[in-house]
Amino acid sequence: MVSAYRPENLKEALLRRKEFRVIPFAGGTDLMVKGRRWSGLAPHFELPVLFIGHLGELKNVELEQNCLRIGSCCTLSYLLENENMPQAIKIALWMFASPAIRNIGTIGGNICNASPAGDTLPVLYAVNASVVLKNTNGIREVPIEQFIKGVGKTVLQDDELLKEIIIPIKSFDTIYYRKVGTRKANALSKISFLGLAKIKNGLIEDIRISFGAVAPTVVRSMEIEDRLKGKTKKYIKQIIPEICSQYSTLIKPIDDQRSNAYYRKIVSLRLLKHFLTKDIL
Amino acid sequence: MKQKISIPIKKSDVPEKAGGSAKYIADIEFEGMLYAKTLRSDRPRARINSIKIPELPEGYYIVDKNDIPGKNRVKMIIDDQPFFAEDVVNYIGEPILLVVGPDKEKVFEIVYKIKVYYEDIEPIFTIEEAEKEKKNPIYGDDNCFAEYEFKKGEPEKAFATLSYIVEDEYSTDYQEHIYLEPQGVVGIYENGKVTVYGAMQCPYYVKNALLQAFGWDENRIRVVQTTTGGAFGGKEEYPSLIAGHAAFAAVKTGKPVQLVFDRNEDIEVTTKRHPSSIKFKTALDENNRIIAMDVDIKIDAGANAGLSDVVLQRSMFSATGVYNIPNIRVRGKALATNKVPSGAFRGFGAPQVFFAIEMHMYHIADKVGMEPIDFKTKHILMRGDTTSTGGLLRSEVKLPEIIDTIDKMSQYREKYEKFKKKRDGLKGIGFSLFFHGCGFTGSGEKDLIKAKVKLKKKKNDKVEILVSNVDMGQGAQTALRKIVSYSLDKPIEHIIYENPDTDRVPDSGPTVASRTVMIVGGLLEKAARKLKERWNEAPELEIVERYKQPEYIRWDQKKFKGDAYPEYSWGANVVEVEIDPVTYEIKVLGIWGVYDVGVAIDEKMLRGQIEGGIIQGLGFATIEVMNIKDGKIQQDTITDYIIPTSKDFPKIEIKLIDNPYEYGPFGAKCAGELPFVGAAPALASAVQYALNVPIRKIPVTPELLLSYVNLINKPQNSKELRECLTTEHVPPLRDPEVSGTEIAELKETS
Repeated sequence: MVSAYRPENLKEALLRRKEFRVIPFAGGTDLMVKGRRWSGLAPHFELPVLFIGHLGELKNVELEQNCLRIGSCCTLSYLLENENMPQAIKIALWMFASPAIRNIGTIGGNICNASPAGDTLPVLYAVNASVVLKNTNGIREVPIEQFIKGVGKTVLQDDELLKEIIIPIKSFDTIYYRKVGTRKANALSKISFLGLAKIKNGLIEDIRISFGAVAPTVVRSMEIEDRLKGKTKKYIKQIIPEICSQYSTLIKPIDDQRSNAYYRKIVSLRLLKHFLTKDIL
Repeated sequence: MKQKISIPIKKSDVPEKAGGSAKYIADIEFEGMLYAKTLRSDRPRARINSIKIPELPEGYYIVDKNDIPGKNRVKMIIDDQPFFAEDVVNYIGEPILLVVGPDKEKVFEIVYKIKVYYEDIEPIFTIEEAEKEKKNPIYGDDNCFAEYEFKKGEPEKAFATLSYIVEDEYSTDYQEHIYLEPQGVVGIYENGKVTVYGAMQCPYYVKNALLQAFGWDENRIRVVQTTTGGAFGGKEEYPSLIAGHAAFAAVKTGKPVQLVFDRNEDIEVTTKRHPSSIKFKTALDENNRIIAMDVDIKIDAGANAGLSDVVLQRSMFSATGVYNIPNIRVRGKALATNKVPSGAFRGFGAPQVFFAIEMHMYHIADKVGMEPIDFKTKHILMRGDTTSTGGLLRSEVKLPEIIDTIDKMSQYREKYEKFKKKRDGLKGIGFSLFFHGCGFTGSGEKDLIKAKVKLKKKKNDKVEILVSNVDMGQGAQTALRKIVSYSLDKPIEHIIYENPDTDRVPDSGPTVASRTVMIVGGLLEKAARKLKERWNEAPELEIVERYKQPEYIRWDQKKFKGDAYPEYSWGANVVEVEIDPVTYEIKVLGIWGVYDVGVAIDEKMLRGQIEGGIIQGLGFATIEVMNIKDGKIQQDTITDYIIPTSKDFPKIEIKLIDNPYEYGPFGAKCAGELPFVGAAPALASAVQYALNVPIRKIPVTPELLLSYVNLINKPQNSKELRECLTTEHVPPLRDPEVSGTEIAELKETS
């Protein structure tokens, strides 16, 4: 038996969340697979399920002056169609799973699932996204890299729900995104790489680099990025070996059924090098 | 000239399948039906000490080895596979017992609560271990399910006198069928008679397996094929095992019992393509002509013999490809390992060796400084030549026309030259030549199958086809109805062909080996022509036609001498690729295919077979990775075992060359397996050309190519190629897996 709650609104959902230990269920594209048993049997969940995917309050996209607010239960297809969505996010969403999964899977679900291979995560890290967590007492805002603590682990409390994602508005001249999967569509990432850059008067004004599926969480280093900012392309070319070796210590991939650590590491660094040499220079 | 029969008509199974009204076995509800779930070994090799079963609620049953009235062995070439494990289990997933009952939830719970106490035995996982381990073999005293050798000419003499010798070793890995519909059966026991319904290719294989397992009279066993959602060989021998399970359960419970696999279970426990290891030793004379070839083939059969013996034979008979080699020795072994049994899969042992022989020919061409297409063309078989087993090629071999056509379509030579002169990214182009031996080996049709077909003219002037062959999506119902309709000169709507039921249809043999159109269709054509002559004799008529072997076939099954197959279909593929210089992903830019299948019974359906075969072959060559670690399949879900989608490969350009076969219906030969065979070597050759590294195993993954980077950075390679692939600034984690032969190769060429 599966117990499930289907609240009318966010307030009721948060009350349920406060009263009982439940599993929030948005699109279910990860949960249904995890709980799968024999066909014909309901999937198995450790706790009762709280449906939130239908809540209108979690399905809005609002453009404010300096940021974009994305409701956690917006489906990936909906975001792809949304005219306010930053190009970098759209590029990642185009490569995300299959149309069928994008039609039901949500951005909040992809974040809370906290998979190393979650395909919205590298871009959310790169654009300095933060998440808004809400319980019956109020809200708190947490930067994405502090929200995700490890494989499948987040700081979401038992009484909280992920309400929305806040993305600061910022434009970039260069977007280099590569998802390396086993096939062209409907594949989980072996590696994903995102490089964003803004160049002004021959100098790197802003640069963001993130790697997915090559460590327990997304790899991004503000420290290394800061070293590149305000520098000329020529200078960056000279220090590429150093940059590669700095990232090399942060990239800690594993061998699994989809690829191996050696490939993941080498190719991540090759993608980085390609971005730094071919794409921005 | 295009034959009239080749003009496409509507494929008859499409509306119900595309519209969703087709009933597959999982869709059919029988009254009072119970559900069965299999308890399986979770050990690769162990003795079962005891099994602890919880108390069963009313109406729930355990079905195991004690519930088999006859022999606890699935009828196959060697009867070594138990329906249910006895004292020992030999692979992870081997069935031990069934739990059967009305509520799936409870059945699932009971399976979960059963405890099996094992005593582990040292397992054997690889071909090498299987050959070495003589103390505690899985099968016989040497782990060999089959071992053969045959010769042509005087290979020893040739090798003793010639000094220019090229040696190579190749390997291929598992492939899973991923038919759309997983395996499933329902068993029913009524009035002393067992009926099994299910997805299958060979209703009479299933019936014969049940006869042996029950030891009952023939009329107490009935098998009915239900609409089958794909098979590719995966539903050749495997359904016999689960038909037994469902039948034993039906007899024990007195109720219909459904046994339908979920996808994960299907991937984990059903048969797969045999992994192989193939060695070549080839001697050339001073004119760069191949004088002798020695081939050593080993296939990994898994825990049971299954069909490995005949898979091995087809590998051996195909070992020297489409080439005329005067002196040949071929050896082969099928070895037992503690892994899921390997089995029939489109191509049946031939794709492995065609990958190997084509890569070997390419390698030799490189060594002697010839272009692969010229070197291969120089050695092709022609009419009047003899095959590796000494069979005379009586029909015209249209390879020159095939080669010429594909070269024009794909601009192969031009591109080959262009890429050689100037690098345009990491592009490469590859070319393969291949055949498929049509139907059963040698006199198999005459000695083993003895096919019989029946045509029944009804009062309403409709004609029913009664054969045991099935439509599994390949279009047998349309093709066979078309043959009968055209032979009788009656509209296709008047020809009926229902899913076979062994109580109604004679045994026209299994739906395998690309034999359905050529052999069964041939018999139906004859029967239809007889019926046409006798049409006005009576309102109802029955015509029976039995297989008669064409006079010309000569075959010695003991010595492997003569016509290994009644006839051959031929083909060529060209594949163009570009390798991503950053990630080593392979992008396929173009695919071309030219085929001689005699005459197409329906050009559109044949195109479907060809496109599907090529894509399945390219999946086998590139992305379909299946590793077994400690006996456990690592890619055991559809998420991790990746097959191509429509986005992975470009449009395929196909041409057919007519070459009617005297004994085939309307001149048709075989077509179902042929298109699979040539895809992998064409792809691998293109990758080899693009990167200038020897490709010796498939699948060719980006991970494999990365492990070759040290080879790719050969000093003689162009600066551009080396630059694209350099790994400077990237400290390797560990040494890439480069085998001894590859290092030797590097030394030799640099």
